[in-house]
Amino acid sequence: MDVSQYLEIFIDETNEHLQNLSDCIMSLEKDPENMDTINEIFRAAHSLKGMAGTMGFKRMQHLTHDMENVFQEVRSGNMKVTSGLVDVLFQCLDAIDAYLENVKESSDEGTEDNEAIIQELNDILAAETGSAPEEKAAPAEEKKEEPAAQNGYEKKYQNAELSEKEKDAIKSAEERGANVYGITVYIQEECLLKAARAFLVFKAVEDYGDILVYYPSSQDIEDEKFENDFSFFLETEAPLEKIIEVSKTVSEIAEVVGEKVTYNDLIAAAEKKETAEAAQTTPAPAEKAAPAPTQQKAKAAPAKKQNGGKPVTNRTVRVDIEKLDALMNQVSELIIAKNALVSISSTEGSSLQSQTFHEQIEYLERITTNLHESVMKVRMVPIESVVNKFPRMIRDLSKKLNKEMELVMTGEDTELDRTVVDQIGDPLQHLLRNSADHGLENADVRAKRGKPEKGTICLNAFQEGNNVIIEVSDDGNGIDTERVKAKAVERGLVTPEQAEALSQKEIIDFLFMPSFSMTKQITDISGRGVGLDVVKSNIEALGGDVEVKSVLGEGTKFIVRLPLTLAIIQALMVEVHDEKYAIALGSIQTIEDIPVGEIKYVQAKEVIHIRGFVIPLIRLEKILDMEPSEEEKESLTVVIVKKGEKFAGLVVDNLMGQQEIVIKSIGKYINNNKIISGATILGDGEVALILDANALM
Amino acid sequence: MASNVAVLENDRKQYIVVKIGSEQYGIDISYVDNIVRMQKITRVPKAQNYFTGIINLRGEVVPVMSIRTKMGLEPDQFTDASRIIILKVEQQGSLGIIIDEVKEVVTLGEDEIDKVASAKDEKSNFINGIGKHGEELISLFDINAIIDEKENS
Repeated sequence: MDVSQYLEIFIDETNEHLQNLSDCIMSLEKDPENMDTINEIFRAAHSLKGMAGTMGFKRMQHLTHDMENVFQEVRSGNMKVTSGLVDVLFQCLDAIDAYLENVKESSDEGTEDNEAIIQELNDILAAETGSAPEEKAAPAEEKKEEPAAQNGYEKKYQNAELSEKEKDAIKSAEERGANVYGITVYIQEECLLKAARAFLVFKAVEDYGDILVYYPSSQDIEDEKFENDFSFFLETEAPLEKIIEVSKTVSEIAEVVGEKVTYNDLIAAAEKKETAEAAQTTPAPAEKAAPAPTQQKAKAAPAKKQNGGKPVTNRTVRVDIEKLDALMNQVSELIIAKNALVSISSTEGSSLQSQTFHEQIEYLERITTNLHESVMKVRMVPIESVVNKFPRMIRDLSKKLNKEMELVMTGEDTELDRTVVDQIGDPLQHLLRNSADHGLENADVRAKRGKPEKGTICLNAFQEGNNVIIEVSDDGNGIDTERVKAKAVERGLVTPEQAEALSQKEIIDFLFMPSFSMTKQITDISGRGVGLDVVKSNIEALGGDVEVKSVLGEGTKFIVRLPLTLAIIQALMVEVHDEKYAIALGSIQTIEDIPVGEIKYVQAKEVIHIRGFVIPLIRLEKILDMEPSEEEKESLTVVIVKKGEKFAGLVVDNLMGQQEIVIKSIGKYINNNKIISGATILGDGEVALILDANALM
Repeated sequence: MASNVAVLENDRKQYIVVKIGSEQYGIDISYVDNIVRMQKITRVPKAQNYFTGIINLRGEVVPVMSIRTKMGLEPDQFTDASRIIILKVEQQGSLGIIIDEVKEVVTLGEDEIDKVASAKDEKSNFINGIGKHGEELISLFDINAIIDEKENS
């Protein structure tokens, strides 16, 4: 038996409680009177304390205990929630988080006592309630409980039914001259991991001697098949007081009782018990007394269970992401094999059985598509897990920068592939910091511009076709393109003449260059110039891109576009001359037949005018380095692709139809040219390239 | 006994002898994953000129390099004897190179190999030794040089 098996549960649940606390404290700050929130916080803090105690993380327990005290006062109305208190509470959360990090890394909470924070908590408590820190009162209270309780704890080891072998063990220990103690340990009723407690007790006492008998059996204790107490017989040289003392050092132990026993006593006791049982004398009243002192606590326990018991463990399974990847690969293989069958069925359509053959192929196609979808869904997680730490971050930034701001988030339930979600946190965090630091103006500037004093930062996530869009926008200053231009000239990136000719987009692109920072003073929030370029490369590594829209004086919007899936997509297969290319269906808007006569020229570039839009034409044969075709056709097949609000028309020779394709990397050897985002294997074994419509624009 | 074998392996290496143009080249067999017949190679636009394209190797996409173009020789002429040798390199994955013909597998000891130190022309950049096998001379490819020199040409 080992505590480490509980470690994972502990880490998960602590994370959950921390997030919960953070959310609640945030909302408490806005609505300090809300009793529901306060109760929720109290429960979460209490659970945290209990769990930390269970796992033997004393420092963490101490800290959460003090937090709980504060909430106790808040709950009973003796204390008001102030901004200062919220600050300290957040510090507590950070400290707990730090403990948790230590636990994750080394299974130990570390040695930081965080006395400063605890001191602050107690100071607030003292100042607000006008009483001495409750800390002192608490142990006293507990002590009061104890003597009363003592009577309720019976020496249950006397009830242990000893086998002959166990009796022999006790007898031989006695003969060796060692002391044998019978010990019964009572665990607090609200203890979550009783088996872990028991284990810690055993571990502690085994430093002093050997445990001869477990009651209930060690297996039952390990499986938590016992009520709130367990007993054991210990052979040791140490005095009884010492043993009881070390047992009590384990947290969440209510009481330890024991005495020296001898073999003869045991035999006598066993006999007496038999008669006692018949008469039903001693144990009965004692047992009645036992629950009484703990009743108050028992009330708290069910409330906590509703809260802590929420993650229904038996309905979910943890799976290593690598196993999912393997599954995904196999599904990919299956789809390739299916595509091969599809292409055979469409070429050999003359035989008699072809009808049924065709039906079966279609059936197979449906199955593989559904299978793929299911596997994809398993890998999808809501971005919530990443973005829910942002409100807190913005609050901290608001304090640090001395700017009033608010984060409005929508679409936290938007789902993305697990691998994408894991890596999107840092770039988003950076964009938010950027908005808070560079985007939003100071209060007086905002007042002059007639904007509300409180700046707003929005984080919007939503799905668009095969992409997920995450927008980070602020109502701040916007990007001053003139200043960026000046900076670019100053840095020698362009000549002043060149700078004049740059479009707004080209100027904004400078911001994404490595070590190009606009702030005059470097803060620890942003402005070191390692920022937007990293954001861009991180997002591009995920197959996404970043776009910026900015109006000077009104605000900036960063639009992050990410692929929904990484491995299998629906694509339109097209032919350009004799080469086949795939275009992701998600980026295709429409397909048009355009008579050559309708092509117009704007700035010597071919465009078409369709339903009120002027769309530039892209001749794929040119972009793909092919010989121009000799005969000019009367009409062109144009695939209209869309990226954000921009359109482009790709001229292709032939449409081959829609197909589910498996994206394969073309490897690292071939210089990454952006217009090809990968390759796929067609049904006939041929390799076709996937055109990245975004990069073509 | 085991150490004897190790010494033996250190001293004597097996090479696949291939023909490119009129010359014979040796490829260290430990790098060779597979030899496949010529098949349809999908051209990749905007790639380096010495990459002929990509092929489907049992469901995996593998880039194929024209070693002739890389060494500055005249372009490949595909015949029935043409083969693609798939090299397996730990970090960067598989890579195919096109050769005119596969001849045989030879075992060369260190005494049969002359080291080539200085690079005189473009071609010898990719050669790290000359092996002597009977009357024949075999230029031994430096696989890492073939793979690494992405920026060249």
